[in-house]
Amino acid sequence: MSKAAELAKWGEVSTNGQVSGRRNVVINGAMQVAQRGADAVAVGTASGYFTVDRFKVFQGATTDGRISMSQAAITDLGGFSKAMKFDVTDADTSIAAGELLQIGTMFEGQDIQGFKKGHSDAEGFTLSFYVKGTAKTYSVELFDADNTRHVTQTFNVTTSWNRIVLNFPADTTGAFDSDNALSLYILIWVHAGADYTEGTAATSWAGNVNANRAVGCGSLFSSDANELFITGVQLEVGSVATPFEHRSYGEELALCHRYCNALLKYGTGNQNDNRIYNADYANVHGFIRMGYPRMRDTPDINYTISAGAAETDYSSNGLIQLFNDSVTNWFIYDVLLEKEL
Amino acid sequence: MINFNSAKYLYDMEGVNKTHIQLNLGNSKFKHIVIDPANTDYQAILEWVEDGNTIEDAD
Repeated sequence: MSKAAELAKWGEVSTNGQVSGRRNVVINGAMQVAQRGADAVAVGTASGYFTVDRFKVFQGATTDGRISMSQAAITDLGGFSKAMKFDVTDADTSIAAGELLQIGTMFEGQDIQGFKKGHSDAEGFTLSFYVKGTAKTYSVELFDADNTRHVTQTFNVTTSWNRIVLNFPADTTGAFDSDNALSLYILIWVHAGADYTEGTAATSWAGNVNANRAVGCGSLFSSDANELFITGVQLEVGSVATPFEHRSYGEELALCHRYCNALLKYGTGNQNDNRIYNADYANVHGFIRMGYPRMRDTPDINYTISAGAAETDYSSNGLIQLFNDSVTNWFIYDVLLEKEL
Repeated sequence: MINFNSAKYLYDMEGVNKTHIQLNLGNSKFKHIVIDPANTDYQAILEWVEDGNTIEDAD
């Protein structure tokens, strides 16, 4: 960051009140946390969270393209030790109109009120991230889920790490709801059919038009030799990108737990120190109970059971509580709680 | 939408209100989906039902 930019930012933060405190609203932007696991193969058949927390892959229509996705260890970018990596294993050069592949992270409306969207004094959005990979042009879209509005830009990837800085304008139309529901997407488009590319890019905030969402976007799937690395994702109020805000692993993990919580030794298949026992182990009528930090809302529960199936679920936000009155000596393990946006 | 073998309703303590949909994923793996119109997993199950599939009632 140049001295001039520092001064400009200081002037900006002095007037918009962001003198101190958290600047980056993105959680896990340095890709430190991957509770579901570090590697996933054959990504491209469905949308979902596969590796790093808070970053979802969206897939649309049917593509033959497949990627291996991972939380990759990196040593060639100072300040960062992890990146989200996409390695194409199956190419798709025949792109149907409805195909898409996006890498997205989402925000609760109550966490992004600082952008003052929908108000006369609305602030701009500055998105920054580091990328390297096969040389390509891709698109980034901010999508307002509350008001179905969007704005988009393209960016270039080269074979060396570069910090991409994209300034998106303020939007005085359509405020974000201040609640725990989804209000804003950051969507990195890496594959798009004509349904999303044949219009005119929405470079200013506007009501959504699908054809304007990813104009100029290249395809990650164009060759099975293609790859893409992303890390250091930051979204902040205003028009100047400040240095990436590094947070501790523990802090990022705690923030991720609001949306996903892998309990004990999730994913190991370990049935010993990874199990939650039936409290009345040797008898029927047994409850499994375990508390955890409250999440965004009552989560869905994924688990493996030693025998039979839980017959009732009395869980609430902060407590797993399953009941079975027909099996003795039962327990669950590999427990994953999810309340993603 | 994840793959699963069957889907079944779970009820509250009084056995009156449906609270979750239990998906049997096979190999003793299960997923409990909170019945909440705002839950995207629940929305996906509703689409699965609209396609002609059925959620079993509790045992």
